[in-house]
Amino acid sequence: MGRSRHLLVAAGISAAVLSTGAALTYYEGALPTTLNPLYAAKMVDYRAQELVFDRLWYHSPINNELESRLVQSWELTEGGKGIKLELASGIKWHDGKPFTADDVCFTVKAMLDSGTPSPIAEGYRDILAGCTPESRSTAIVHFTRIVHNPRERLGFSVLPEHAFDGNTAISPDLEFSARPTGTGPMKGSRGTRGVTFQSFANGHHSPQVGQMQLQESGDPLLAIKALINNSVQGIIEVAPNFRADVSASDELALKSYDLRSWWFVAINSKKAPLDDRRVRQALNFMLDRTELREKSIGVKPGERNSPCEFISGPFVPSSPYYNRSVPAVERSDQGQAEALLKEAGMEKVGGRWQFKGQPVSFRMGMEKSLDNEAPDILSYISNQFEAAGIGSQVYKIPPDNWTTEAITGHLTDYDLLVGKWSFGQVEDVNELFYTRSRGKGTRNIFNYSEQEVDRLLAQYDVAKTDTAARDAYHKLHRKLAEDLPYLFLWKLDTKSAWRTEVKGNTIAPYYYFTQFDSWRYEG
Amino acid sequence: MRRWWAQPLVRAVVALALPFAVPAIITLLIWALPGSPVSIICPGCDGAEGLAQRWNLDQGMVHFYTNWMGGALHGEFGNSWRVVQGVPIAELLGPAIPVTVTLILLAMVPLFLASALAGLGWIPRQLDPLFQAIGLVPAMVPALVVYAVIALRFGANMADGPESLTAKLLWGAIILGITDGALSGAIVGTRSLFDNERKQQYVVVAQLRGEGVLSNTLPNVAGALVGQMRGRMLHLLSGAVIVEAVLRIDGLGDYLWRATLMQDFGLVLAAATGFALVSGAILMLQALIEVAVAWHQRRAPVIPAPGVV
Repeated sequence: MGRSRHLLVAAGISAAVLSTGAALTYYEGALPTTLNPLYAAKMVDYRAQELVFDRLWYHSPINNELESRLVQSWELTEGGKGIKLELASGIKWHDGKPFTADDVCFTVKAMLDSGTPSPIAEGYRDILAGCTPESRSTAIVHFTRIVHNPRERLGFSVLPEHAFDGNTAISPDLEFSARPTGTGPMKGSRGTRGVTFQSFANGHHSPQVGQMQLQESGDPLLAIKALINNSVQGIIEVAPNFRADVSASDELALKSYDLRSWWFVAINSKKAPLDDRRVRQALNFMLDRTELREKSIGVKPGERNSPCEFISGPFVPSSPYYNRSVPAVERSDQGQAEALLKEAGMEKVGGRWQFKGQPVSFRMGMEKSLDNEAPDILSYISNQFEAAGIGSQVYKIPPDNWTTEAITGHLTDYDLLVGKWSFGQVEDVNELFYTRSRGKGTRNIFNYSEQEVDRLLAQYDVAKTDTAARDAYHKLHRKLAEDLPYLFLWKLDTKSAWRTEVKGNTIAPYYYFTQFDSWRYEG
Repeated sequence: MRRWWAQPLVRAVVALALPFAVPAIITLLIWALPGSPVSIICPGCDGAEGLAQRWNLDQGMVHFYTNWMGGALHGEFGNSWRVVQGVPIAELLGPAIPVTVTLILLAMVPLFLASALAGLGWIPRQLDPLFQAIGLVPAMVPALVVYAVIALRFGANMADGPESLTAKLLWGAIILGITDGALSGAIVGTRSLFDNERKQQYVVVAQLRGEGVLSNTLPNVAGALVGQMRGRMLHLLSGAVIVEAVLRIDGLGDYLWRATLMQDFGLVLAAATGFALVSGAILMLQALIEVAVAWHQRRAPVIPAPGVV
């Protein structure tokens, strides 16, 4: 074991030395807000952090097995309420200091410290009780209860204790957020216009790309042109309407990125008349998703292998949690919609719906960057509501405001918000629908609250088997499809484009760069 | 009798007060906005009292302002909240100030040339409609076109490459210098100033004595010229925000724009103070030139009135 590890180290160092000087550059829709894994909020944050840090456990994109580069062996202790980790040897932080059990325990303690105001840490506080370093290479992580999947619960990135001088209260505005120290394949540094990554040969990583740059793409058309001109070598998300251009080029490769993303229209169920479930159901019948998909994304009727599949609940159709017995609404049904609105006490005067004598009009918003993937979607939705007799004003919300205002439940002056959620292997939707209180429901957009939904989410939380978790989420799916805090739209495939000079670029679901060691750039 | 030193003094006082007043106004705005500033630094965070304390946001705006001002006087502006979270603001703005100053100075070149030529009467009036038509073009339009060209030409190197920065600065300066009425304003403004002065009796007398027009008029219009130039520089400074933001030039204007959009108030405060300092410096320069002109005029020989012995 020791010998093979030394060989691995040697191979890693050789690869780093031999790697070409040419920098690989790729475009993201936006720059990461932070490189500190405790404060990741957007997908671009997670992807960039995956290059810099190692998560304790991760799903291999090759065989979907749960693997770890940091843990050599493990065993359950305390009757399942603890897990003893034997750490791999020869791993160094980017500043050359050795990786030890103290770092694992520091990370756990930092997440448990109330002085660390991290929404991600908040999510772990329910399950983690503490950590004890037994030796330099052995740590015991304690859980608050017995969990059926202890390793899956330890998917956090490990932070270096020495970078914080042992202070477990970690705030987001520290310099670490821009120039972190990790154990991942690349050393990252956030600049004003991008992030620079430099390879770092380590005991457990042997990156073959010497230098990499992340930059913000701006206009999608210019981004595609830059890719064709070889000014950049990759684009993480290519909008459906540009995919034909990429496919037509011999020098570019279109690659699937399993992001498990689904689109929705969140409904402000705290505001009248949307607080009436029948009105929400009527809106669900007003939307003609087939037409929306055709006009905005360009999916032809009856097209096979469509990048866009309709959904009826908060999961992608390929997910084990997706309840197939709940049908998706694909076409509008104005008759049903009208009947429901009348039942809810609304009346149609001169072709416009009125509620308590006032014409009904909704304030609708959408995260601006979604327009790149589904152009003019907000206008098409608004047009469909207008045609059905409901007025609307539409607004595009900048990505940062979406993170700071919408996700945190502060855009309550809106009636409807169009958005997209993305998930990895674990499609935990609890934070989206839990009643907001004491660290729960941190992504509940309109502060939706429903007792039965909370009960089902709690049932998923305490599930000790995969079957129990699946049962809870199947019921949740049905309940949400009835109660409609969201109008569920579709799952939209995400595709990346890379130049063919970039080889071995296995794209991991969600985190993207999990297998970065196999990437090569022959430019 | 009007005191010659009153106006320069007022300018000097305003110049000194600006860097203190601007952060005070922004602090007022931060407190006037709905929600907690801490929620901007850390969206969705519960229990961010530590952050509020670190940023002096926990004891009212006077406490915040005095602490921020105290730090700023020592060059300590804290770290960026959102734009480049965690990076010291001084580190961001240090290189940004020379970039913006270079952009403004480059943009002043066509304005100086046009002003000089117009003052000498070498630019035909018939061309005025052309300059005015060019001046109607908003800076945003050519900036967007240039951005597209540079993005395609430099691609990934657009952000950091020195070659692309030079191209962006040169094009940015040209755009700033001629659009939004900058060039036409310089030509028409300077020409009308000299035209009015040339009508003065003393100039006619000087011409009859065989003296040059420029040497006579220049000292008298110098104050007004500097005033116009200050106005133009301020105009360029505000235009620089648009040009830097569109062309992605890492200057003061771009930071101010991005920081405002992202509500990175630490950076907004520092960048706006940077602008206030530049504006204050120009104001101070105007005051000094006014003093110099007044000094020059007072040292001129006094010609006794006819009949006075």
